Amino acid sequence: MSSMRLTALLSMAAKAAFPRDYRYGTNRPWTIAAQRLNPPGKKRRKVFVEPIANEDWHVLRGDTVEILSGKDKGKQGKVAQVFRRRSWVILEGLNTHYRYIGRSGDYRGTYIASEAPLLLKDVTLIDPTDRKPTDIEWRYTEEGERVRVSVRTGRIIPKPVYQRRDGIIPQQWKDGPKDTSPEDTLQKTYTPSLKTLEEEVMEKMNIQEDRRPRKSYWY
Amino acid sequence: MGVLSALMRGLVRGADRMAEFTSKRGPRTFYKSRGARPTGVLTASRKFIPVQAMIPEFVVPSLEGFNLKPYVSYKTPAGTEQPMTPEMLFNQVLAPQIERDIEEGVFSEENLEKYGLEKTQEGKLFKLHPKNFVR
Repeated sequence: MSSMRLTALLSMAAKAAFPRDYRYGTNRPWTIAAQRLNPPGKKRRKVFVEPIANEDWHVLRGDTVEILSGKDKGKQGKVAQVFRRRSWVILEGLNTHYRYIGRSGDYRGTYIASEAPLLLKDVTLIDPTDRKPTDIEWRYTEEGERVRVSVRTGRIIPKPVYQRRDGIIPQQWKDGPKDTSPEDTLQKTYTPSLKTLEEEVMEKMNIQEDRRPRKSYWY
Repeated sequence: MGVLSALMRGLVRGADRMAEFTSKRGPRTFYKSRGARPTGVLTASRKFIPVQAMIPEFVVPSLEGFNLKPYVSYKTPAGTEQPMTPEMLFNQVLAPQIERDIEEGVFSEENLEKYGLEKTQEGKLFKLHPKNFVR
């Protein structure tokens, strides 16, 4: 019985696969809302996206950008989410429409502002010196680092500070009783040897094991 | 949800045939294990004899002076050590001894056991290939 389970286990790839023409939306593909919009058999009209190489992508999460067209034209905002597959960018609190969320029974739900995605071509990065929109190029510094440079002024635009989604700032973290301190973690206690961990543990704990398992076969 | 999402569109009717048939389904007389290893032997008269060797026993050493805890602090910076490869292991463990033996002139290809290399994996409890331990 366990032999069948082993082969079944080995053949389980278990990676969420999406069809080549899956239409990616603002919902994450594994959520119920996305499953309702894109059930397995549904085929939607193909949305054409100008292909941009991963190295040429210049808008990162946390950047401040300015909107060039649309309802909130001329406003600047921080990028909250980036969708590379559709060249979308969602800014915090800009380009919003209003909807009710969490309705049940008679209660119509909370009225919230939800942001609509903006295409990459309707958005530009902002030069930190004069806070005006500018075109961006990827160039190399003297040290060889690849940075974004504003074409108009030549000023380097630094990468936005990476903020964790759970809001934890590592420098301000207070260790709990179950946290190993950084000094203990970085201690190097490994001595390379040809024995496996199990053999070393058996030697240290003086465990004698002379029985050997019977030969068995699995398919 | 699985296949039942197609049910929502009203195209397919009936139960979910591809769901796993576990021990929670079926009649009372249906017995199926959920994967736990047996800890004894079931005899012909349906009596269960527990075998002490099949029951796992945890042998825990004393944790005096052991400072590692279950979780790692967020303040820890990324480590700088490279992951161990077979080449690195050889260079650190075997290469010095072999070089010393070659310089002394004692190195012989039939006598590789004295460096810790094994001719076959037969008779070992933890075989490297085919690997018979989980880790």
